[in-house]
Amino acid sequence: MSTLHPLIRFAIVVALVALGFVLPRLFGGSQLVYDTLVTIAIFSAMSYGLDVILSDLGEISLFHTAFFATGAYAAAILTVNYGFNDWVALLGAVAAALLLALVLGIITLRTREFAFSLVTYAATVVCMNIASNWDFLGGSDGIVGIPPLDLSIGPIELTAGQSVEFWPYAYALLLVTLYFVHRFRRSRLGQAALMVQMNPRLATMCGLDGNRIRLQVFLVSAPISALAGWLYAFQRSYVGTDLFDTYFLVLMLTSVILAGRRILLGPLLGTALLLSQKSFASLGAYGDKLVLGVVLVAILCLCPRGLASLKRKPAATSAAAEKPATSTSTATTTIAKGHRG
Amino acid sequence: MNVPQQLVNGIIIGHAYALVAVGWTMLLGAARLVNFGHGQMYMIGAFVAWWFMGATGLPYVVAVPFAVLVGALLGAIMQRLFLRLTLSQDLVNLMIVTLGFGQALEGAAGLAFGPKPQTLASPFQAMNFHLGPVWFTAQDALQVIATIAVFLALEFALNRTSFGTAVRMVAEDPPLTRLGGIDISRVYMGIFAFEGAAVAFAATLVAPRTPILTSMGFDQVVMTFVVVVLGGIGSVGGSYVAGLAIGLFTALFGALVSPAYTAAAVFALLIAVMVLRPDKLAASGNFAR
Repeated sequence: MSTLHPLIRFAIVVALVALGFVLPRLFGGSQLVYDTLVTIAIFSAMSYGLDVILSDLGEISLFHTAFFATGAYAAAILTVNYGFNDWVALLGAVAAALLLALVLGIITLRTREFAFSLVTYAATVVCMNIASNWDFLGGSDGIVGIPPLDLSIGPIELTAGQSVEFWPYAYALLLVTLYFVHRFRRSRLGQAALMVQMNPRLATMCGLDGNRIRLQVFLVSAPISALAGWLYAFQRSYVGTDLFDTYFLVLMLTSVILAGRRILLGPLLGTALLLSQKSFASLGAYGDKLVLGVVLVAILCLCPRGLASLKRKPAATSAAAEKPATSTSTATTTIAKGHRG
Repeated sequence: MNVPQQLVNGIIIGHAYALVAVGWTMLLGAARLVNFGHGQMYMIGAFVAWWFMGATGLPYVVAVPFAVLVGALLGAIMQRLFLRLTLSQDLVNLMIVTLGFGQALEGAAGLAFGPKPQTLASPFQAMNFHLGPVWFTAQDALQVIATIAVFLALEFALNRTSFGTAVRMVAEDPPLTRLGGIDISRVYMGIFAFEGAAVAFAATLVAPRTPILTSMGFDQVVMTFVVVVLGGIGSVGGSYVAGLAIGLFTALFGALVSPAYTAAAVFALLIAVMVLRPDKLAASGNFAR
């Protein structure tokens, strides 16, 4: 990609974006196609929140279902209980996710690896427990009757009810998310996160504060999943404790792992594959669960670096496996370039 | 509040937590593997026993060893699948793979056993004992005794047998163990099979109290995460004490404060411990010590 002229690259991106937008029509434009693609867009946006933590920080957050749920609950409470418009609900979703991420980020600052995963998992259980018992959050019944999406600004009318009308919004959310993650990976924070992951000691010697970067990355990732949750609430017009279901977690992890980490379109393709199977070749609820689980286990046991690693040269794969040595040097050079530039 | 009854309840629940957690403690301590599929393995254990009783008409006491056998087999399959990741100590991928494994088990169990809630009928559940102000069932007594027996046997096996020594060596340093001439894949096989057998055994003893569902996995064993961590990762004796303590805590918290928020309270406790004492949580630091 990097060898292409910037203009050509830009043209390709524009063409892909346009192609993506008409994709549901190319697939026949039925209700099912639209529903599936809307869900793919929303769930892959959700997965990108986790992708940032998993690929760039190298940790497994099990709290991202809760960020997703936070966005959905914020949307539901602000629109149904308080009658705010959907833009306020959007801000509320982001603010709530940031607040939660800040608290959890500070709590987990010194934990690594499975301690980090267990604390984030414990926090998810606490949140689910609270959501199913606290009446303010709808208790075990959840919150029903979320009005259709209405993002009208002044004279510009932007509303969406059915899946066909919903598609542009879900697609826009996906594009914004993709752009954001892309920018993040190129930003100084993204590079620093990678370095902290690959070689924490070197990062410290370069004057990077590992804990601070971890916290910042956590803050970056939370609103991504929360925004997906915000839109999902309008698509479903109902939120409940099922949003905390392990299914979402496994879906996110599988879609990130499936193609390979740190591949921009990876989580999107992963989600698309998994949800297409669910929509068009469903084996029933249990069969789908089985497929999801088997795919995840097979990927990790057969090619832990993701499907993309299969087509790379063996040399490249083994180099990637030796991550402390080679990748760090890459990260260091990039960081050095960043400082010079 | 009937204090003695709550204490007895706490002791019973605590032993259930400890028994459900023991396999996971071993797995984490010796193989550094966080098994998020533990809950689904528990569910499989309960359902296999239930299915066996229905299909053959044999009594509960025969179904228990059968379920344990199937559990051990499941553990062995896990070892075959995860050995490469375990040996390379790819902790992140290991955690994810167990989540996927659990998901697959849940889907398979749903296909095999159907969506309806079932009851694992134990004859001991109907036998009640009344001692002054407290009562409990024979199932409770059996489960407490079995838990103590399992922990004693495990302590003995780890500290007094040559295989136990090999397990402790693997926990300390797998490559060095291999250099010492020990076939570590066999040791891992033992550890994984024990995890499967132990959780299936726990399921057959604990599950008769409540209806069983194929979707119950995660929720049913959520407390074992806390037990394993608070006991000091991988510490066998510690997880027994932690199980008991959390059992008493949930019984008293449920009676005194609010049953609905018990799980939240226990997990808040867990978070507090993990944040305040992260150094205690280094993998395998306390194993069998």
